[in-house]
Amino acid sequence: MIFNLLQIIFLLEVVIFLTAVFMHLIHKSSLLISLYRLQSLIISIFIFGSAIEASSILLMCVAVFMFVVKVIVAPYFFTKLIKNNQLKFASSTYLNNPLTLLVVAALTSLAYSQYFQPLTILAKGNVNSLLLAVATILISIFLIINRKGILSQMIGILSLENAIVSFAFLSGLEAAPNMQLGIIFDILVWIIIASVFAKMIYDKFGTMNSTIMNNLKEE
Amino acid sequence: MALIIITGTLLIAVILSLLVKERDKIFGLIALSASIVELLATLFVFGQVAKHGIYTFNSYLSVDYLGLIVMLIVAVVGLAASWYSISYLKIEMTHGFVGFRRVKQFFVLLHLFILAMFFAITTTNPILMWIAIEATTLSTAFLVSFYGKPSAIEAAWKYLIINSVGLLIGFFGTLLFFYPAIDKLYNGFLTWGWMVANVSGFDPFVAKLAFIFVLVGYGTKVGLVPMHTWLPDAHSKAPVPISSLLSGVLLNVAFLAVLRFKMVTDLAVDHAFSQKLLIFFGLISILVPAFIIFTQKNYKRLLAYSSIEHMGVIALGFGFGGAGILAAVLHMLYHALTKSILFLSSGNIFLKYGSTKIKNVAGVLKTLPSTGVLFFIGFLAITGMPPFGIFLTEFSIMAAGTKSHPWVVIVAVLALALIFVGFLRHVVAMLYGETEKEVIPREMDKNNLAPIILLVVILVVLSFYLPTGLKSIITLASLAY
Repeated sequence: MIFNLLQIIFLLEVVIFLTAVFMHLIHKSSLLISLYRLQSLIISIFIFGSAIEASSILLMCVAVFMFVVKVIVAPYFFTKLIKNNQLKFASSTYLNNPLTLLVVAALTSLAYSQYFQPLTILAKGNVNSLLLAVATILISIFLIINRKGILSQMIGILSLENAIVSFAFLSGLEAAPNMQLGIIFDILVWIIIASVFAKMIYDKFGTMNSTIMNNLKEE
Repeated sequence: MALIIITGTLLIAVILSLLVKERDKIFGLIALSASIVELLATLFVFGQVAKHGIYTFNSYLSVDYLGLIVMLIVAVVGLAASWYSISYLKIEMTHGFVGFRRVKQFFVLLHLFILAMFFAITTTNPILMWIAIEATTLSTAFLVSFYGKPSAIEAAWKYLIINSVGLLIGFFGTLLFFYPAIDKLYNGFLTWGWMVANVSGFDPFVAKLAFIFVLVGYGTKVGLVPMHTWLPDAHSKAPVPISSLLSGVLLNVAFLAVLRFKMVTDLAVDHAFSQKLLIFFGLISILVPAFIIFTQKNYKRLLAYSSIEHMGVIALGFGFGGAGILAAVLHMLYHALTKSILFLSSGNIFLKYGSTKIKNVAGVLKTLPSTGVLFFIGFLAITGMPPFGIFLTEFSIMAAGTKSHPWVVIVAVLALALIFVGFLRHVVAMLYGETEKEVIPREMDKNNLAPIILLVVILVVLSFYLPTGLKSIITLASLAY
């Protein structure tokens, strides 16, 4: 039974990892949001599982709150942003797809290299899942750097947060439930503020491509 | 009780500011009253810490020696910034730069920003500290984009994104610090004290990795090079009272987070590990701004780069250890006061000349004689000229590293000399010379001078004389790190 559970967790972690990889490759904004929604759904399932295991009502509240914020509210804000500003396609990347994949492969190798080996002592029989979570962290950071679009940068940050939460779940380093509620609330405020800024940027610059913003270079 | 008074006062100030309709004078009254209450409550905490050591309100809130120093900085600079904001925004409203709605937004966010900083300092939990520091980013993002210009929105976006990434990296590091508490977390509330007490269960390799993530993460918020790229833009685009708080106060709050983790790391591995990292980041944080300051064209960005440099000096002090730590703690205090003097004076210059470009500002000593003198005092102090405190702290920090890291000290001293020359070049151009456009030689408002004079008086007094209580608290703060 335990063996099966670890396998399921690994499979879900692989899906999280793949969503982060595909976020680099797809250009349709709605697909990008769907990938984030899927990623967040899995994270909510992880926390839900933790709540059942620990028989904690507070942790159950965390799972529900996380589901509401990340699977419902955040995608709603992003979809509204797309509709209002007619952003059918997210902006392009700095590197082309083959080069992007090469960097993703290098980052995944880095996660499995000796530099992150000390972290394997945190794994409870799921070393591969844990290192995959580390790889997702690195790939999400790369997503923020590589994408030119404001929406992609926002989703990159939220994907990074998801990757860290999955790492915490896999390593048993989760914060206490009341702290987690605080963190999710923080994320909710972040999503609202970032969406307002995205709207402001579109209104001022007429695009959501961050490369257009170069007013500071003249200073 | 004092901590609840501070929190309560700021929350009431937020609510009252939200309720104000039409009469903009009330915002200033609320802000000034709240700042005075905060300062008085902080002085009460000072008395308690001086008497009993750590001041604990409950298991969630407490103030240690270093926390008290940073808290004092928040209270004093917070008072000066709030006071200055009243007349500054009044003039901006008169000129039609901002409207009533913007002023309301300013004061609401100012109170939330100060509240988040107080909470970050006083909380006993690393996750709550992270949430509070993230809240400082969220509350100030709209203050950076306050004027709504494309460059301000760009700066705010850069600020939001880079700091969010940095803080998430810091969050990852924070979680790794929970290693000794694996499987115990659901039972209790993890505090700094718990982490120190249970450090024996911390794997040294994990501790090293965790500290690297924390240093890079919170180091982004501190503005250490190479994670500093957001800082000159954000600090130069925000209204000056906010710039003074961002540069003088917030950087110290973020540094406090790094130091709290350093304390745990030093117990888990050895001092040398964190010290080497701090020396590395400290040195490049002095070196890079030195060249940029020399060629700078914008005086607000000049001050922002100077903040990066001073964070580098503080990092070097903690990196060198020994007497360097004592000097670094003092440096935090002197830098906060001096940078606020400079930013607030630059606000008067901006109101008079309507430009932040150095080439558009000349003859400040003629057009704004009092501001010119205050700006010049700030310049002397920030570049480490005697008899100001920064001379003493920079000298002590360099002296502390002479034996162990002579090359680092040589490079740092050369960079500091370059910074002095660069600063002098710009300040002379601004203070003397003839203005191209017609500027009426008269100070804008005496309320734009009073808060700066207050800060100058405090700086000069503390440069010559440190009260016994403050001296002992600084000494005890440095011993813990």
